[in-house]
Amino acid sequence: MNLNRQNKIHNGKKQMIWLSTPYIGWSLLFVVIPLCMVLYYGLTTDTWSFTFANVTHITEPGYMKALVRSVELAVIATIVCFLLAYPLGMILRSMHLSRNGFIITLFILPMWMNFLLRTLTWMTLLEGSGVINGILNVLHLPNIHIINTPAAIVLGMVYNYLPFMILPIYTALNNIDEDLLNASRDLGAGELQTFCKVTFPLSLPGVGSGVTMVFIPALTTFAISSMLGGSKIMLIGNVIEQEFTSLYDWHLGSGISIILMVVIIINMMLNIAFDAKEERQAKSIKGGKR
Amino acid sequence: MKKFFSRFYMALIFIFMYAPILTLIVLSFNASKSRAKWGGFTLKWYVDLFQDETIMGTLWNTLSIAILATIISTFIGTVTCIGLMYANKKTRAIVMNIANIPMINADIVTGISLMLLFQAMHVTTGFGTILMAHITFDIPFVMLSVMPRVKTLNQNTYEAALDLGATPIYAFRKAVLPELWPVIIAGGLMAFTMSIDDFIITYFTKGSGYETLSTLIYSEVKRGIQPEIYALSAIIFVAVMFLLILVNVIPKIRSDRKARRGRKKIAAAVLVLCLTATSMGTLTACGTNSSTGKNGKLYVYNWGEYIDPDLIDQFEEETGIDVIYDMFETNEVMYAKMAQDSSAYDVICPSDYMINKMIENDLLQELDFSQIPNAENIGESYWTSSETFDPGNKYSVPYCWGTVGILYNKTMVDEEVNSWDILWDDKYSGQILMQDSVRDALMIALMRNGYSCNTDDEEALEEAAQDLIAQKPLVQAYVVDQVRDKMIGNEAALGVIYSGEAIYTQQENPDLEYVVPDEGTNVWIDSWVISKNSKNVENAHKWINFMCRADVAYKNFEYITYSTPNEAARELIEDDAIKNSEIAFPDLTTMKTEAYQYLGTDVERLYNDKWMEVKSAD
Amino acid sequence: MARELITLEHIYKSYGDQLVLDDLSLMIKENSFVTLLGPSGCGKTTTLRIIGGFEYPDSGAVVFDGKNITDLSPNKRNLNTVFQKYALFPHMTVEENIAFGLKISNKSQQYIKDKVKYALKLLNMDGFEQRKPDSLSGGQQQRVAIARAIVNEPKVLLLDEPLGALDLKMRQGMQYELMRLKNELGITFIYVTHDQEEALTMSDHIIVMNQGYIQQEGTPEMIYNEPENAFVADFIGDSNILRAKMIQDKLVEIQGAKFACVDVGFGQNNPVDVVIRPEDIELLEPEKGIIKGRVLNTVFRGVHYEMEVEAHNYKWLVHSTRMKEVGQEVGLYVDPFNIQVMNVPESEDEEAISELEQTE
Repeated sequence: MNLNRQNKIHNGKKQMIWLSTPYIGWSLLFVVIPLCMVLYYGLTTDTWSFTFANVTHITEPGYMKALVRSVELAVIATIVCFLLAYPLGMILRSMHLSRNGFIITLFILPMWMNFLLRTLTWMTLLEGSGVINGILNVLHLPNIHIINTPAAIVLGMVYNYLPFMILPIYTALNNIDEDLLNASRDLGAGELQTFCKVTFPLSLPGVGSGVTMVFIPALTTFAISSMLGGSKIMLIGNVIEQEFTSLYDWHLGSGISIILMVVIIINMMLNIAFDAKEERQAKSIKGGKR
Repeated sequence: MKKFFSRFYMALIFIFMYAPILTLIVLSFNASKSRAKWGGFTLKWYVDLFQDETIMGTLWNTLSIAILATIISTFIGTVTCIGLMYANKKTRAIVMNIANIPMINADIVTGISLMLLFQAMHVTTGFGTILMAHITFDIPFVMLSVMPRVKTLNQNTYEAALDLGATPIYAFRKAVLPELWPVIIAGGLMAFTMSIDDFIITYFTKGSGYETLSTLIYSEVKRGIQPEIYALSAIIFVAVMFLLILVNVIPKIRSDRKARRGRKKIAAAVLVLCLTATSMGTLTACGTNSSTGKNGKLYVYNWGEYIDPDLIDQFEEETGIDVIYDMFETNEVMYAKMAQDSSAYDVICPSDYMINKMIENDLLQELDFSQIPNAENIGESYWTSSETFDPGNKYSVPYCWGTVGILYNKTMVDEEVNSWDILWDDKYSGQILMQDSVRDALMIALMRNGYSCNTDDEEALEEAAQDLIAQKPLVQAYVVDQVRDKMIGNEAALGVIYSGEAIYTQQENPDLEYVVPDEGTNVWIDSWVISKNSKNVENAHKWINFMCRADVAYKNFEYITYSTPNEAARELIEDDAIKNSEIAFPDLTTMKTEAYQYLGTDVERLYNDKWMEVKSAD
Repeated sequence: MARELITLEHIYKSYGDQLVLDDLSLMIKENSFVTLLGPSGCGKTTTLRIIGGFEYPDSGAVVFDGKNITDLSPNKRNLNTVFQKYALFPHMTVEENIAFGLKISNKSQQYIKDKVKYALKLLNMDGFEQRKPDSLSGGQQQRVAIARAIVNEPKVLLLDEPLGALDLKMRQGMQYELMRLKNELGITFIYVTHDQEEALTMSDHIIVMNQGYIQQEGTPEMIYNEPENAFVADFIGDSNILRAKMIQDKLVEIQGAKFACVDVGFGQNNPVDVVIRPEDIELLEPEKGIIKGRVLNTVFRGVHYEMEVEAHNYKWLVHSTRMKEVGQEVGLYVDPFNIQVMNVPESEDEEAISELEQTE
C-alpha cells in the first residue's frame, strides 16, 4: 500500500515534467528557429551563398550614422529616464505604500492606451501651432520648436519607456531594509554618504534591469522616430524597417539585425552572470539560516 | 518642505504621463477634424465611432487577439513553470533563458524573425500569425510573474495530497492552484497589457486586410488620423480607469470580508466581460475572414487616398464581390509586400518603373483583355507611353497619370517659382516638405543638376545625395500623403507633390499654386495590374473593367482629381476650365519630363544607400 | 558611584492614534549593562531607537553626557547600534562592513586595518575578512555586526534583540561573549530583549517595560525576588499570583488560609496581591503543611519536576526536585520570607496592565 502510494507520488512528479514540454517545443519553433533564420538570411546573399557583406554593410556612412545616432539617442533617453525615475522611486519608497499600491498602478495605466496614440498626441502638443506653443503664446513666452528634431524623439522615448525604469527601481529600493540605512547613519554616515555607499549600490540591480528595459526598445524603435522625427531622423530601427517593408532587402535587413542581436546577447550574458551570482548568494543565505 | 517637494515632483511626473492622454480625450470632443484647431465641442465622433465598421472591426481584432493570447499564454506559461520545477537545474536554466529571449530581444528583431518563419512555412499571415506571435512574447511575462511563486511553493502540500490518495489533477487543483492564482492573474494582466500595447511585432506578422488598432493607427498617422480613433481611446481609457478604481478603491471602503467577496465579484465580472469579448471577437474575426460576398472576394492594393470610397461600395453592389481594400504609401512598400507574398492581393496599382520591376521578377500575370472591354476608353497616347515599362501592353491598364511638382503658398512665397532651386533657399527654412520616397527625392536633386532621373552614374548620385543632405536642415519633414493636409493647413510654404493633388488643394486653399520646374520632372503613370498568384483572377478583371468605365472614371476623377487617361471620362467633365486645365491635363510637349525606369538590383541598392545616407544625415 | 550617561526625560511617542511611550523617564549609568525587558509592543525597541536617533520623540528630551541630543541625527551621536537582523551591508565584504564607520570618519588606512584586525580577533572571526555577509552563518553575522559597531569606540552600544535569531546553544555562547566584551571594552551596553532569562543572566540593571511604561527597574535579583507588581512577577519567571487579604502586619490570608509573611504596612483587612515562586513552595506530609492539597499532574523538567497541586480551589505551580505521585495528598508550606505581598493595582494604567496580563 505504502509502496503503491510512493509510486504514485513518483509518477505524479514524472508527469509534472511533461507539463513543460509543450512550451519547449513552442519556444524552439517560435523563438529559436526564427532567430536562426535571421542569422541565415543575414549571412547569405540573395543567391544563398555565404557572405559577411550584409553585416559589414553597417560601415556604409548612412547606416553607420543611423546606428551611432540610435545609440546616442537611446543613451540620452535612458539617462533622462533614470534621472526622472530614481528620485521618484525614492519618494515612492518613503511613502511606504502597500504592495499593490494604487499609485504604482497609475504608472502602468498609460500603457493601456495605445502607444502610438500616446506618441501621436505628443505631435499635437509639440507642433508649431500645437497646444504647448498655444499656452506659451498666452503667457507671452517664446515658442519651442522641437518637433522633428532629435529632442522630440528623446522626449517620445522617455515618455513611452519611463514606466519600465520606474518599476524596477522602485521595487529594488523598496526591498532595501530600512535598518541598513539606519546602520549606515548609526556608523556616522550623513544622508549623502548613506545614499552613495548603501542605498545606491543596493538599488543597482533594479537600475540595471531598468536600463535594459529602456535602452533596448529605445535603441531599436522606429515608430517613435518616424512619428516625432518627421522621417528626417533615421534610427537603426528605421533602417531595418525600411529594408524589410520598402526596400525589400531581407538579407541586408537581417544582417543589420544581427548587429542588434549581438548587442542584446552581450546584455543577456551579463544578466545571466549576474543572476547566477544572485542565486548563489540566495542559496548561501538559506544555508546560513539552517 | 521635503514633503512638499516630493509631492510636487510626483505631480510633475504625473502631469508628464497624463497630459498627452488628457489632450487625446479633449481632442475626441473637438469638432474640427484637424488636430491643431479647436472647432467647438461635439459628440459626433463618438456616434460615428460605433458606425465605423473598420474601426469596430479592428477593435474586435485587437481584443480577440489580446484575450486569446492572454488565456493561452497564461495557461502555457503557468503549466511550464510547474513542469520546470521538476526538471533538473540545467534544463530549467536553459528553458528560462530561451523564454527570456523575446522579452530581452528587440521587438523589431522578434518581429522580423517571426515574419521570416511564417514566410518560410508558407503560412498565410493574418489572425493566426499575429496570435502566435503574441502568445510567443506573452509567455515570458507570465513566467516572470509565476516562476518566483512556484519556486517558493511548498512541494509537500502537493505530495501530501497525493499521499492522501488524491489524483495528480485533483491534487494540483486543490493544493497547488489556489496558491498560484494571484500570480497567474498578475501574469495574465501583464500579458494582456503587452498584447494590447504591441505594435512592432504585429506590424511584421499581420497579413493583408487584417489590422489591429496599432497597425491601423500607424497607417493613419501618415494619412491623418480619424477623430473617431480619439473617441475610441478615450472610451478605453475611461473604462480601464473605472475598472482600476473599482478593484482598488471600493474594497477599501467596505469591510474586509465583504471586500473579499466584492473583489471576487469584480473578478468574475471582468472574466465574464473578457469571455464575452473573446467570443464576440472570435465571431467577428471568423466573420471577417469567412464572410464572402456571394461572388467571392477581391483583394485590392492601392495608394492611399487614391479612390472615391463610394466606388468600392458601388462595385460590391453591382458585382456581389466582397472587396478587401488596403493602401500603401510608396511603390517600394507595395513591392516588399508582394514579393513576400505574391498572392496577398489580386489587383494592384503600382507606378511605371515598379510595374517593369514586377514583370521582370515574375510577380504579374498577363491580362485577358477580352474581360476588360472598357479598356478602349483609355487614350491611345497612354498605351504608347506604357510600352516603355510594359512592352506590348500585356500586363497593365493605365489608371492615373501626372507629374511631380512644387505646391507653394502664395502668401508665404512672393517670388516666381520656376526652379527646384527654391527648395534649397534658406528663406524657407523649416517651411519645406519633401517626399519620403527614394526615387522622387533623388529625382529632384538629379534633375536640378541636369542629370537623368534614371542615371546610374555614381558621381551624379553622390552629388545629388550631398545636395539633399545640404537641403536637409531646411526641410520640415519627409512625408508622403501628409503634404496635402499640411499645405492646406498652412503649415508649410513649399511642398513636393503629385500634380493630381493640385486641383483638390486649390479648392480647399485658394492660396496654393502648383508648378512644374523648368529643369524638368518625372512623369508617371499608375496602372492596374493583376498579381501572378492571384486567387481571384476573374474578379480582378471585373475590377479593372469597372474602373475603366467612363462614368466610374469620371466620378473617381471628381473625387481624387488626379489626371485620368480615360478619354471617355474626360469628355464627361462639365467644367471646361478643369477639362482643359493645364494642371489636370498638362501638355507634356511643353515641358521637360522623364519617366522612371526599373534600374536593376545593383543600381537600386546604390539609390537606396544614397537615400539612406540622406535620411540619416544630421 | 558611576556617573549618569544617558537620561530620558518625559518622553512621549505615538504612531498614529497609538501611544507607544507615555511619559517615559529613565537614567542609565556609565559603564553598565542595562537591559530593557518587556513583551513585544511594550515600547522597548522604540526607546532604543529614540536613543539611537532613528526615531524622534513627540516630546521630551534625550540627554547624553550632559548634552541634549534629542534632535541630533544618528550619525552625530557617539553611540552605535547592533540591529535585530544585523543589518550588514550585503554588497560589502566583512572587512568593508567593519571599516565602514572608520572610513566615514576619515581614519588612516593603517589605523583602519589594525582596528578591523583587532575587532575580528576579539570576536574570534579572523580569516573572514573577504567573505560576504550572505555566506556567513547567523552567529557569524552577529559577530560582524558587533565588530562593526565597536570599532568606532562608541561610549554606548545599543543592542536590539541581537540574539533573537540564534538557536539556544549559540545564544548562550553569545551571552557570555557579550558579557566578556562589555568588561574588556569598558563601554555601556543598552540591551533590548523579551527574553527574561537573557536579561537576568547578563544585566547589571534591568528595566521592565509594558505598554509604554516602566514597570520596575533594578538589579536582576531585585526584579526576580521582589517584583513590584503582578505583571513583573508574571513576566519574570513562573509564579503563583493570587488575590489575598492582608489581615494584619506579617499575616496574610490566601484562599482562606492564613500564611505568615514578613511584609508590613499594608493596613488591616486590605486586599493585596501575593506572589509565590513555584520553587519556594515545599511539599511535605499532608499534616505538616499550611494547607493540604492533591497533586494533579507531574512533568519532568530536567533539573526539577514541575507539578500542579490543587489546594483551596487554586492550582498551585510547584517546582521540586522530589517527585510526588499524581493523586497523592501533600501539604504545602511556604517560608514567610518567600511570600511577596504587593499592592493591588489602583490606577487605571495599572489596571490595564493586569487586564492585559489576564488576556495573555
